[in-house]
Amino acid sequence: MDPIRRSLLGQLARLSAGAAMVPLSSVASAGINQQPPRREGDPSKRYGMLIDLRQCIGCQACTVSCHIENAAPLGSFRTTVSQYEVEHQETGEVATFMLPRLCNHCENPACVPVCPVEATYQRQDGIVVVDSDRCVGCAYCVNACPYDARFINERTQTADKCTFCAHRLEAGLLPACVESCVGGARIIGDMRDPQSQISRMIAEHRDELMVLQPEKNTLPQVFYLGMDERFVTRPDAEPVALDVLDPHGKEMGYEFRH
Amino acid sequence: MNSAIELLAPRYDIAWYPWAVQYFFMIALSYASLWLAAPALVFGRARWLPTARLALLACLTTTLVAPVALLADLHQPLRFWHFYAYANSHSWMSVGSLVLPLYLVGVIVLAWLAWRPALQAHRQAPGIAGFIARWLSLGDAPTPRALMVLVGLGTLALSTGIMLYTGAEVAIVKARPLWHTVWLPPMFVATGVIAAAGLVLVLNRVAGERSTTVIRQMLRVMLGACLVAALVAGSWFLDGINAHVGSVAAAMESVRDSAEWRSTALWGGLTGVALFGAVLFLLTRPAARRPALFAWAWVLGLVALHVGWMFRWVVLMDVQTVARHSAGFHHYGIPAGSSGILGIVGTFGLWLAAILLIDLFVPWRQARQGGSAADIPPAQPDAHSAAETTEGAPGHG
Repeated sequence: MDPIRRSLLGQLARLSAGAAMVPLSSVASAGINQQPPRREGDPSKRYGMLIDLRQCIGCQACTVSCHIENAAPLGSFRTTVSQYEVEHQETGEVATFMLPRLCNHCENPACVPVCPVEATYQRQDGIVVVDSDRCVGCAYCVNACPYDARFINERTQTADKCTFCAHRLEAGLLPACVESCVGGARIIGDMRDPQSQISRMIAEHRDELMVLQPEKNTLPQVFYLGMDERFVTRPDAEPVALDVLDPHGKEMGYEFRH
Repeated sequence: MNSAIELLAPRYDIAWYPWAVQYFFMIALSYASLWLAAPALVFGRARWLPTARLALLACLTTTLVAPVALLADLHQPLRFWHFYAYANSHSWMSVGSLVLPLYLVGVIVLAWLAWRPALQAHRQAPGIAGFIARWLSLGDAPTPRALMVLVGLGTLALSTGIMLYTGAEVAIVKARPLWHTVWLPPMFVATGVIAAAGLVLVLNRVAGERSTTVIRQMLRVMLGACLVAALVAGSWFLDGINAHVGSVAAAMESVRDSAEWRSTALWGGLTGVALFGAVLFLLTRPAARRPALFAWAWVLGLVALHVGWMFRWVVLMDVQTVARHSAGFHHYGIPAGSSGILGIVGTFGLWLAAILLIDLFVPWRQARQGGSAADIPPAQPDAHSAAETTEGAPGHG
């Protein structure tokens, strides 16, 4: 459809009766869905992470060490590295792109205001955590997170997510994923401390850093260096994992589409 | 332009189970049938009384069953009291947890007021029915109409709260672009009204009422709701057709990339158009041919229920299979157990049990807007005249 006709149709839609609902919806999303006050944690700190993709080799050491440290159930991940094969259509050159993913501990987290019992909350140091004793397991936060960072832990039946290994940070240790990263690709630190490595790297690479899905206005605090902008939003890629099922519908493995 | 293949990405399970569909379906039937019962039971329009009696039965039973499905969708159902101990006014779900019990109480009180004169008239009935009538009717004092109007208006107001919160709860989720549109809440209401009108048509048939007044009124309501749904769907489409991101863009992407979404879109569109066409056809037939055709209106009722349920299934279940930050779609097979087929069948079973229990022990066919036992015509359980019924043998009373 040509752009002029499309814009005309859009105008028509705005003229239609339902246009009256637009202000109503802004009241709804602004009024009720606002961030509750932060609690606990050190207000003098703001933790963030910088992932230097130039150093990531996709070894999944972070995935495994996180799994062991945080005892996530099989098949659920607090962090993982998505991998893509990217082919240059003119030269045919093939490269692998790694995308480590974890909770972005957003400045405007979509998962926090939706929680009906304030079981998930943001600490004053920016870390988003879940009080699993209070969580009712409604899974609203799992649906509200644009980054697939949350899941329902099948053992506790409550929401589960990356905490930047807050228990390790408090003991003066690095998060499991940072500790185990063979290339030193993951840098965590206090962004309020101008001398911290993350603050210095953010200052140095300010213009090159990217975050995931910035258009969602969640203000993620996990920054990617060496990022390909096509992977900032949902990647336009061919999905790989088609389940191969046996005659009883049980999963046997995966196969590629072509 | 490069092409990319996703080599490795986790598979993300859905977070809301079919229980959510059951809740959204039941609660939509509940608030929509309340509005179908309102003309006679709240605003005193006598011509709507046969419809109101069926609609009130539909409303009370769905209102009782819906919260059960909602609780079951929690992974920690026994912690439901946390909703009240730690209420978070920032969350639409929390707002809903405050509105829902008030609405539930409103519907129960309204139904009790509407059935009370008939219960009083049945106090001498033998067996359990008489015992229940004596126990439930709470004395001989007449039921004031003003009280019904007051409770009715309050419950109608609460029902708009349910419409608003169920729609907003889903529509504010930015993470799922297909949900994140202002057109979703009105579409929930429109399809809810279609389904509720369909349910009244089906109850009109299976309860043996077969009132042509009910059929005519419900077909008209359904026609209007179909038009509103078409307007909302059209506005949603035109509103988003310019945008490269957002609800419509995400829908187009899904339809382009997935054969399942293509067939879903086709099926939804065809069913909607077919339902609208059939309702229009029935309503425009000459009066002489109507009784024969109206006898089949309950089939359209089933189609309408299908439209209301499938819309919620597609919105709540299918949308969760659209990957958010990985490629393609996640596989979802409905499990056989309580979070799947057993839950769906169980909810409907519980609902059927609620309808049957009320049918056994409560004279719901004589619901009225207040009054006393003296207003109930004796030995004539069905209030409608014989001339009003469509052809065929009347069912059991």
